[in-house]
Amino acid sequence: MSDTNNNFEDLKRLLKLKRHEIPPPGYFTHFSGDVVARIRAGEAGGAQNILERIQSDSPFMAALLQLFGARPGVFGAVATGLCLLLLVGVLFMDRSEPGSAPTPELFAQSAAEPSPILAASTPLEPADNGITVSTNPVSSLQPANTLFGSPQNPLFQSAGFTPAGQ
Amino acid sequence: MLTMPEPATAPDANVPAGMMEGDLVRRARRGDLTAYDELVKRYQERIYATIYHMTANHEDANDLAQESFIKAFSALKSFKGGSSFYTWLYRIAINKTINFLKQRRNKHHISLDDLDFNAEHDPDLVALISEKTPQRDINLSELQEKLNEALLRLSEPHRTVVVLHDVQGVSHEEIAEIVGCNIGTVRSRLFYARQQLQGFLADYIKA
Repeated sequence: MSDTNNNFEDLKRLLKLKRHEIPPPGYFTHFSGDVVARIRAGEAGGAQNILERIQSDSPFMAALLQLFGARPGVFGAVATGLCLLLLVGVLFMDRSEPGSAPTPELFAQSAAEPSPILAASTPLEPADNGITVSTNPVSSLQPANTLFGSPQNPLFQSAGFTPAGQ
Repeated sequence: MLTMPEPATAPDANVPAGMMEGDLVRRARRGDLTAYDELVKRYQERIYATIYHMTANHEDANDLAQESFIKAFSALKSFKGGSSFYTWLYRIAINKTINFLKQRRNKHHISLDDLDFNAEHDPDLVALISEKTPQRDINLSELQEKLNEALLRLSEPHRTVVVLHDVQGVSHEEIAEIVGCNIGTVRSRLFYARQQLQGFLADYIKA
């Protein structure tokens, strides 16, 4: 330990010698003037540059930028990945577009096949007098053909009237 | 005929000699660049020296020192006066230097030019080389280079405390305030840094 202390003393003496490492005479004559000139020129201007603003507001973003700066390959890989993702998304949208809107052929097909959804619901049995009443909720009063293959609206019946027995 | 050497920086007629630092800071916060110029003159050498000892490069130290003062001016409104202006300024310079060093971690460039190494007659150096140093034929330039290389091998936090304490003579308490840690951390970093330096400079410091 005493050796260490003694050596630290030598080390400290060695380090003190660095105080002799000074710039040449006259170096500081214009230093403050240069600083003030730069301030006046607006380099400070009360506004930080973008990088410093990012560093103060968002240390995470600053660290990310630092990582990208230190490893440009990572940045390239991330950018390439994002571009590929965008491309895949665009291609996927293109492929799904032709089938997204219902076509007349689709209506006809669904009309021929009963919908499994409606099959699970209470079947509508026309009463003897030809009028069907149902308490099932319906989404539309329009008797239009739909994808679910329900050509008849239980609350809307044609005005046809068939006397009993005929 | 004797001639008095001109001072390195001429005093500003608008700033009374010995003006209190607090007054200068208050005026500078209001945008008075004359007051700020005086503040720069008061601390330029110390700030430059600290940055130079951290970077071992004259050009980098020059740029960083200027940028530190410029940043300090733009951040003056955030200076609440909790610490001394000098400590606050030091903190800005140290942080700026550390960020710079981290960005160019593998590009050490020690510049030995343009520096006036007046240590030849320093009694500490004379004693060190004549009595303690195994390699007695070492010249000053080589010693300076080895010392700077050894410092650059330290991590930034360890280099900071060694530069501030052992080179600049800043107290433990002030260092703790500057770097934002407690005094115990400063002492332990200093001890570890000195051990590291001792290992790096074993050829020049006799065990």
